[in-house]
Amino acid sequence: MIEEASAPPSPRWHSRLPPAAWLALVIIAALALLAGVKGPVEAGQATINGLVDAGYVALGAVGLTLIFGILRIINFAHGDFLTLGAYVALMIAASGLPIWLAAALAILVTAAVAAALDKLVWEPMRRMQTSTLQLLLAAIGIALVLRYTIQFFAGSQVRSFGQDILSAVNLGPWHLGTLQLVALLAGIALIVAVGLGLRFTAVGKQMRALSDNMALAEVTGIDTRGAIRLTWIVAGALAAIAGILYAAAVGTINPNFGSLILLSLFTAAVLGGIGNAYGALLGGIVIGLAQEWSTLFLNARWKPAVGFAILILTLLVLPRGIFGRVPART
Amino acid sequence: MSILNADFWIGVGVIAGIYGIFALGLQLNVGLTGLLNLGQAGFMCIGAYAMGMLVVDAGWPILATLPVAIAAAVLAGVLVGLPSLRLRSDYFAIATIAFAEIVRYVLQNAAFAGGNQGIIGYDAEWRDFAAWASDRLAAIGLGEQMQLPLLFSIWLVFALCVAVLRWLRRTPWGRVLTAIREDEDAAAALGKNVLAFKLQSLAIAAALAAIAGFFLALNVTYLYPGEFDPTFTFFGYAVLILGGFASYGGVVLGTIVLWTLIEGLRFLDLPLSSGEVGSLRFVLVGLTLVVLSMARPQGLLGRRAEMQLRQ
Amino acid sequence: MLRRLMMGTLFATGISLAAVSTAPADPINLTIGKLLELTGPLSETGPSQDKAIKLAIDYANKAAAAAGVDIKAADVGADVQGDPQAALSAARALVAKGASCLIGPSITPESIAIANGLTIQKKITIWPVGTSMRLRTIKDEGTIFRTVPPDSLQALALVAGIIDKLGTASGKLVSIAYRNEPYGEGLAKDFKAAWEAKGGKTQGPVVFDPNQATFDSEAGEIVANNPDAYVIIDYPDTFAKLGASLVRTGKFDATKLFVPDALAFSTVPGNIPAQAIEGARGTRGGTPTDTDAYKVFDKLWETAGGAEHFSLDANSFDSTTLCMLAAVAGKSADPAAIQEHVRAVTTPGAPKFYLTTLSDAFKAVAGGEKIDYVGVAGAFEFAANGDPTISRFDIFEYRAGKLAVLKQIDAAK
Repeated sequence: MIEEASAPPSPRWHSRLPPAAWLALVIIAALALLAGVKGPVEAGQATINGLVDAGYVALGAVGLTLIFGILRIINFAHGDFLTLGAYVALMIAASGLPIWLAAALAILVTAAVAAALDKLVWEPMRRMQTSTLQLLLAAIGIALVLRYTIQFFAGSQVRSFGQDILSAVNLGPWHLGTLQLVALLAGIALIVAVGLGLRFTAVGKQMRALSDNMALAEVTGIDTRGAIRLTWIVAGALAAIAGILYAAAVGTINPNFGSLILLSLFTAAVLGGIGNAYGALLGGIVIGLAQEWSTLFLNARWKPAVGFAILILTLLVLPRGIFGRVPART
Repeated sequence: MSILNADFWIGVGVIAGIYGIFALGLQLNVGLTGLLNLGQAGFMCIGAYAMGMLVVDAGWPILATLPVAIAAAVLAGVLVGLPSLRLRSDYFAIATIAFAEIVRYVLQNAAFAGGNQGIIGYDAEWRDFAAWASDRLAAIGLGEQMQLPLLFSIWLVFALCVAVLRWLRRTPWGRVLTAIREDEDAAAALGKNVLAFKLQSLAIAAALAAIAGFFLALNVTYLYPGEFDPTFTFFGYAVLILGGFASYGGVVLGTIVLWTLIEGLRFLDLPLSSGEVGSLRFVLVGLTLVVLSMARPQGLLGRRAEMQLRQ
Repeated sequence: MLRRLMMGTLFATGISLAAVSTAPADPINLTIGKLLELTGPLSETGPSQDKAIKLAIDYANKAAAAAGVDIKAADVGADVQGDPQAALSAARALVAKGASCLIGPSITPESIAIANGLTIQKKITIWPVGTSMRLRTIKDEGTIFRTVPPDSLQALALVAGIIDKLGTASGKLVSIAYRNEPYGEGLAKDFKAAWEAKGGKTQGPVVFDPNQATFDSEAGEIVANNPDAYVIIDYPDTFAKLGASLVRTGKFDATKLFVPDALAFSTVPGNIPAQAIEGARGTRGGTPTDTDAYKVFDKLWETAGGAEHFSLDANSFDSTTLCMLAAVAGKSADPAAIQEHVRAVTTPGAPKFYLTTLSDAFKAVAGGEKIDYVGVAGAFEFAANGDPTISRFDIFEYRAGKLAVLKQIDAAK
C-alpha cells in the first residue's frame, strides 16, 4: 500500500503528468483565478493560511497513513498520540528543562509508548489474526485510555507552551506567524524525509514490502516483527512532533485536541491516497487551501463542512485518492 | 444504596435501547453485508430532525412523522450509497463519516433548522401519552418512574426490530447479503445485483438510525447538532463489536453490557477530585474495550467463522 | 468519609449549642450536586466550575458555622459530557446520591433534557449558566434559576458600552464575531438588531469553529474595513488562539474591542495574549454598589490554587451560596423546600447582604427574615420565570491585565 510519489517509468510516462504535477497546475490556476476575482492581497493571504493549515494536518496524517497502509489498522488513537506528545513535552518543560530538550524527550516517550502498545496489544492481536473490526475496537479503547490518562494527570483546562505566538513574518502585504512558518517548514521537511526513507533505506523497502503482501514478506525472510515495531515507533514520533508543533504554534490546547483534529487527519490521508507520505502532504494542502479559500466567498462557519465536501468530491473523481493506485483485482 | 436507584437504571435502559436500535443497523451493514458504515449518526440526525421539524414547523402529529422521518433517512442512505458504494471499504468508511459531518455542520450553520439553537417543543403529544401511561403504571405501583413508558416503548420497538432482522436474515434476500460479504465477485457472477443489495442494506440501516433518532429526541426533548457528532457512531461500533459480529442477539447483550459499564461507573467512589474521577471513568471504559477485543475477538455472542471483513 | 461526616455534625452541633441566640432546629445536611463538564467538547470549563462550587461550599459552611446556623453542605459531582443524554444520566446519578439542588449544567440543551426528564417532576432546582432564551420556552414549574442575564439585556448593555466610548452609534461600523455556539449566536443576533436600531452599521458576523487549527482568515475578516469597534463573543480558551491571530494581522487595535460576560475576568487568564485584550472594554452583570465581594472571591480563588478563572465561574459560586441560603430559609434539605425559599433570600427591597457579610445573612435567614443576597456576579431578584430582573451592568476596561469598572448602566433604560 505504500506508494511512491511518481509513477515508475512506463511507456505512457511522457504522455501522462504525475498526479502531483496536475494538482500543482490546478492549484496555480485556481490561485490566479482567485487573485483576479478577489484581489491578490486577499487571495494570497488565504493561500498562506491554507498552507499553514496544511502543514499541521499533513504531519499529523503521515503516521496515520503509514499505519493504515502497512498494518491495515484504522488507528482512531492516532490523534491522541499527538496529544500525548504535546502533554509530555508540556510537563517536562514545566519542570524547568529547555523547550527543545523537553520536545526531544517527549518524542522519545511517545515513540516508546507506541512501541509498547505494539508489544502489548497489536502484536498479540496480529498473532490471533484478529479482524479489522476488532482492531478498530482496540484502537477506540486505546484512544480513550490515552486521552483520559493524560487528562487524569494534567486536568482538562487549557494549557500552553507560552511561546510567542504573536510575532509574525511580513512578506509585503501578506503575513504569517513565525511559529506557524516554523511548523510548516518542519512539517514539509519531515514528510519529505519519511518519503525518501521509505524509498531508499533498507527498512523503508521492508515496510513497503509488508504493505504489499505481509505473508510474502515473511516468506522472503524480512524481519516483519522488527519492521512493524519500527513503523509504530516512526508513527509515534511523527505524531509527537506534530502535536508539539501544533500546540506551540496554535497557542492553547486541552486533552481533546488530538481527537478533535483526527478527522481532518483522516481526510488528508484519504484524499492523498492511503499509505502514501506525500499523499498526506498533498491531501493536507488540498483541504487547507479549499477551507481557507472558501472563506473568501462563504462565512468562515462553513470551513469544516467544506473540507469534508472536498473529500467526497475528490473520491467521486479519484476513488483511491490523489496518489492511489488503480485497484488491482485479487 | 444509591447505586440501586430505579430512576437511574431506567435511564440507562433508555440509552442502551437507543444505542441498540442504532447498532442493529450497523450490524446489518458491517456484520451481514460487509459495509463499513461510519455515517450512522448522520442518518440518525436526519431522522430526528425530520420528526422535529414536521411537528414544530408543520404541526404534524408526532406518530405521523415517523414514517416520513424513516423515509428521509432511507433517501439519504440511497443518495449517499449510490456514488460511494463503489469505493473500497476503507474509503467508503471515510466517505460516510464525511457525509455525517456535513449533515451536522449544515444543520448547525444553515438557517432552516434552528442552527445552534436547535429544535424544541415537539414532544407535547408524547408527554401526554407518557403521563397517561404513568397513570396506568401507578395502579401497579410504578407511577413514580416517569421514564418507564419511554423505556417500554423503546425496548418493544428494539425487540420488534431484532425479530424482523432475524427473519430477514433467513430469507433468500438475507442469504444474498451474506454471500456478498463472503465473496462479492462470486455473488455478482451468480447474477446478483451487488450494488442494489448493498444499497438496500444501507437503506435499512438508515431507517433503523432514524428510529433510534426518534427515541433519542424523545429522551432529550431538545434537538441540536452537537448531539450527532461521530462519537455516537463510535460507541455504536463499540456496542456492535462487543456483542459479536453477525449476531443481532449480540447487539442486545453488547448495548446492555457497554452502557451498564459506562453509566455504572458514575458510582465509582474514590478519594479523588471530580475531574480525576471523570477521567478515570473513561480510562476504565477504554481498558475494558481493549481487553475485550483481545480476550474475546469474536465478541460476546459472535462466531469466529463470520469475522472476515473483506477489503 | 463517615467519620468525617460525624465529626462535621458534632462540630456543627457544638456551634449551635454555643450560639444560644439562634432558635434550635434540626441540623440540615445538604448535598449539592455539581453538573460538571469533565469530558467532551466543553471539558475545558469543568475544573473551574468544580473549583467555584467547592469554594462556595467551604466559604458558606464556615460562614454558617460562625453564625451558629446549623447547616453543613457537602458536594457530589457528575460528568455531563457536553451531551444532553449523558447530562440527564449524570443528574439522575446525583439525585440518587442525595443531591437536593443541582449547580449547572453549562449549555441549554443539557438543562432542558435534565428539567424535562427529571428535575421538574422531583421539584429539584437547577442553576444553569447557559444564556439561551430557549430555556424559557419550557414549563419548568419554577425549578430553573439562572444567575446570568438573558442575551437581550446584555446586548443592550454592549450597545450602551460602545456608545459610551464612541460617543454615538450613528454611522459607526461594528465588526461582529462569535464562536459557533448557541450563546454567541443568540447574543450576536440581539446585539446586531440593537446596534442597527440606534443607527449603527455592522459587518459580519464572522462565525468561527473553535476546533480549527488556524484563525487567521477569520481574524482578517474581523479587522477588514477598519471598523470603529469589534464585538467578539467568545470564551477564554478560543480567544487565546483567535486573539493571537488578530494581533498578527497587524491591524488589530485592542482598545476597539468589546466583550460580553463570558470574557469578563477580574484577572485575565494567562493564556490570552495581553496585546489582544489590554484596553478592551466589556460588560457583565453589575453589583448595585461597589462591594468587596469580587475581591474576596478573587482572593479565595488565588489562595486555593488550581484552575484559572473561566467564564461565569462567579455565577456557579453564587448559585451554590443561594442554594445553601434557601435551604436555611426553608429549614430543610428537601428540594421542594429549597425551591420555595429561593425568593425569600433574593427579595427586592429586603436588607442586602453580600459575600463579605454572608455570616450575617445566614443569621438573618435562620431567624426567618427575608433578605436580598447580592452575589459576586451581581444581584438577582429573580423574576417570575427565574431569570434575574436586575438590569444593571458594569462597563469595565482591562488595565494591566486587571478588570477595572468604569461605570454602571441600567440596560433596560
